[in-house]
This record gives sequence, structure tokens and C-alpha cells, in this order.
Amino acid sequence: MTRLSLEHVSFWYPATDTPALADVSLEVAGGEVVALVGAVGAGASTLLLVAADLAPRVVGGRLEGAVDFRGRGNGEGGRGIVLPTPWTQVSGMAFTVWDEVAFGPANLGWPREQITRHVDRALARLEIAALRDREPATLSGGELQRVIIAGILAMDPALVLFDEPTAELDPAGARMLWRLVRSLAAEGKAVIVATNDLDALPDVADRVVWLEQGRAKKIGPPALLAEDALCAAGLGTAVAVVWRAGGLPRPYPLTVDDAVRLWRHR
Amino acid sequence: MTDALRLERVSFAYGDVTALAEVSFALGPGERAALLGRNGAGKSTLVRLVTGLRRPAAGSIWVEDWDTRDRPPEQLARRVGSMFQYADQQLFARTVRDDVSFGPRALGFAAPEVQQRVGRALAALGLEAHAAHHPYDLPPAFRKLAALAGALALEPRLLVLDEPTAGLDRALRARVASALLERAAAGAALLVVTHDLAFAAETLERALVLDRGRLACDEPLAGLLAAPPRLEPLGLAPPAVAALSRALGLPGAPVREADAARALARVAAGRRAPLD
Repeated sequence: MTRLSLEHVSFWYPATDTPALADVSLEVAGGEVVALVGAVGAGASTLLLVAADLAPRVVGGRLEGAVDFRGRGNGEGGRGIVLPTPWTQVSGMAFTVWDEVAFGPANLGWPREQITRHVDRALARLEIAALRDREPATLSGGELQRVIIAGILAMDPALVLFDEPTAELDPAGARMLWRLVRSLAAEGKAVIVATNDLDALPDVADRVVWLEQGRAKKIGPPALLAEDALCAAGLGTAVAVVWRAGGLPRPYPLTVDDAVRLWRHR
Repeated sequence: MTDALRLERVSFAYGDVTALAEVSFALGPGERAALLGRNGAGKSTLVRLVTGLRRPAAGSIWVEDWDTRDRPPEQLARRVGSMFQYADQQLFARTVRDDVSFGPRALGFAAPEVQQRVGRALAALGLEAHAAHHPYDLPPAFRKLAALAGALALEPRLLVLDEPTAGLDRALRARVASALLERAAAGAALLVVTHDLAFAAETLERALVLDRGRLACDEPLAGLLAAPPRLEPLGLAPPAVAALSRALGLPGAPVREADAARALARVAAGRRAPLD
């Protein structure tokens, strides 16, 4: 069973005195989608780098506490991360989208038919099969983001980490991505996603982690995003924020559907 | 009055792939336009054409009385400030302040003027505390703001921005919105590529929607956002506030948060009770 466990984890980037993560404890199991929300700089991206075993191993810096990951290995059955800057994640060594997506699986040393199967499936899941022969450098930002995500999923990781995965996507692309996140969890993968797309989370996340200045201030169901404290911190859903700004009483509705129900019963 | 920007039947293709087909529109000074559409609809291509990085295959683009075909990008920068989708790639100096001052210095302004412009741009985006930082020591969201500050410091008559709020939190989005509104109030025209329709609703007034390289729609933004059946075929989705207004039947179909909150408060106070 896939499981990521962080126990009292603190992390300092190189040459900094203030921890980017401070005493964070979190368990994420296969089948679960956990969303990290917070202001820019609150620690969500850092938590993903730690979960991906990139910090401090690649990034440098110093970690305290314990990080434990049970998957099956690296790449396949391991951890995959989608960075917030897709253009930095292109291999630069592929002339076609298909080859770009195959780059990770090929480096896992898989047999050719396994690579083909996983790449084709990943392209289909990201709805970019039509782009397979295009040169990566000619893609739009949203297309490139889908290609990068396909490349990570093609390695079949057990833990998938997404940092602002919808930032470059159009609304249809964002809907596709959020459906994909749910279906990854349904397959038993553990998913952690850092996002500012708060309005998407009620339908996507099992749990929400509110990060503030590196600390996990609160962990709970997506209904957190309608709580007064989160609204005040700029982390409420738009519906909750409007309700609160209109001076209507608590509880604030989380979604449009909740608002309609509350409105009828008032 | 001269238009800040005018496109006349502009077309462009990457090899065999048509990116833009006979696109025409004009923006007046102070006008705030959102450039919307699906991934791959041609939005970023249009930005590259307007900033002079690419030349139209057909048609012409005018920035005030300049035909962009006659002007290299560095000259266009006197009138057009821009921020690209991959804003990271726009940064190269050792500190945020140096990066933001590059543009005004390159335009030949004297040191005190450069300093004032940089100060105003950093203040508009609340970046003063990061002025001495290396851009790459900052999170991507702040690098994006640094690139935007570089465009603002030119104090151009036209600002062309590609996804200025992607990856930004609510507080930073509000900073961008107020900085842009301030520039527009001072007479700058805005052309903003965005998928963030909530941000667009708060900041912009006119919707230009590209669909497969064609200008499919040019109308007031608020009206378009309040009409979900029209958004869907264009690859757009109503932001939550517009959806809420519609679901509750709020008078005036507000699309901005503050307007929706006011309408909600009025209705809740009993002056009108939709859905009942």
C-alpha cells in the first residue's frame, strides 16, 4: 500500500535562517487526494519538493524530522512531480511529443512494448494523442503542460505531486485535469496537489492542508474552505468569500449548489 | 483620438498550422481588454505579433501611429510594455531592482527618472521588500510580479500581458489587478491574455475571444460572463461569482465579488427574494 508520511518535518533552503517548512506532520495514503492551500511562500511547493525526495537531495538545504515513503521504487511505483514551470521540465532531447513523453519510461529501462503502452495511454488520458508528432518547442503553454503531465504519468508513479497543475490550462483543460486527479486516486495512487484554484477543490480533494509560514495550520475536509478564518486569509472559495463579504450569517456555503440550498432554506 | 492598438486583418501561420486568421480590432487609450480562448487558440501568437517578436504574414498592426512592420521590438518597447507567459525567461539581472530598471535605462531615461519609475512599479506591486533579492531566490509567483514590474516601469501606452496571474494567490492577484487599473486610469490600454476569468471580471471590461485563430467575439466582458451557454462553445467557463449570481438570480447579474456581495446583502435584507 502506497503511503507517504511526514513526521515533524522542517526544512531550510541553503543559506536561509527561516524554515520554509516548520514542524509539518502529514500522512497521505494511496487512493487519497490531498490539497495544499496557502499564500505564495507558505510552503506548499517546498512540501512537494520534500515529498518528491528532491529537497534536500537535489535542492540542497537542511531537513529535520522524518520522511517515509512506501511505494515500489523510483519512477514506476515511485514518486512523480509536476513542477509549476512546465517549460523547465522538458527534456530538450525529443523531436516529437511522443518521444518527450517516452523520455521518463525509457530511462526506467522498460521493454519497448511497455513504454509504448504507457506513453499511448498517458497521451490519451491528457487528451493530446493528436499532438503526438508535434515538436515540443512549437506547443502552446497549455499544450506543453499536458505533455509534461503525460510524461510523469507514463512512468506510473504511486505518488503523484502536482504544483499548480492548472496554471497554464484553459477551463476545459482544467476540468480534464481535475477529473484525471480523481481517477488517479481511484486507481490507488496517492495524490498531493498545491493549487490556488480553490473553487475546484470541493469536488477534487479528500483533505485540505492550510499552510501558513511553513506550518500546517489546519488539516480537514474541503469544507474548511468556507470557514471564516480561511476566507479571511484569502483561502475561501469564491462563493464563501462573497457570502461573507455580503454580511450573511455563517455557515458560509462552499459551492454554488450549497448556496442555492442555503438560500432556499433561509 | 488615435487608437493605442489597431489590428487590420492580421494573419499568421507556423508552417502549415494557421495560428491567426484575419483578426481585426482596435483598443483606445485606457481601454481594458481580455484576450480569451482555448489553449492553442492563437492568444500568445497575437502577443508575439503585437510586441514585434513576429511579423504578421498578412495584415498590419498599428501601435498609435507606428506600423509595427517598420519598428524593431526595442523601438516598440517605447510604447508597448509586455510580459510573456514564461515570465521567468524575461529576468536576467542579479536583483529585482536591476531587472526592473533595465527597461527605463535602455529607453535612455536619466538616472533620477529611472529610479522614480522603478520605485513606482515596485510599489504598485508591493515588491519593495524584494527589490534587493535575486529573482531566482524568489518563488515563481514573485518572479512573475518582477517581470510585470519591468513592463510597468516603462510606463507604456499599451501593456500586453500573457497570463499575468497564473500561479498567483488571491492577495497577489489583487495586487496585479490594482496595479493594472491604476495604469489604465492613467491612460494605458491593456491587452491581457488570461484563463483566469475571475481576475478578468475584476479588472477588465472588454472580451476579445479567439477561436481557432479567428476573432469569435468582441463585446463587454460582464455580459459574456453572465451567459454560460455562450461561453461553453468558446472553451470558456463562467467564474464562480457569475455562476452564483445566475443560480440565485441576483439582480444585475453581477460578476465581480464586491458587486455580488452587495447584491446578495440587498436581497437578503428582504428587498427582493429571487427563487422564492
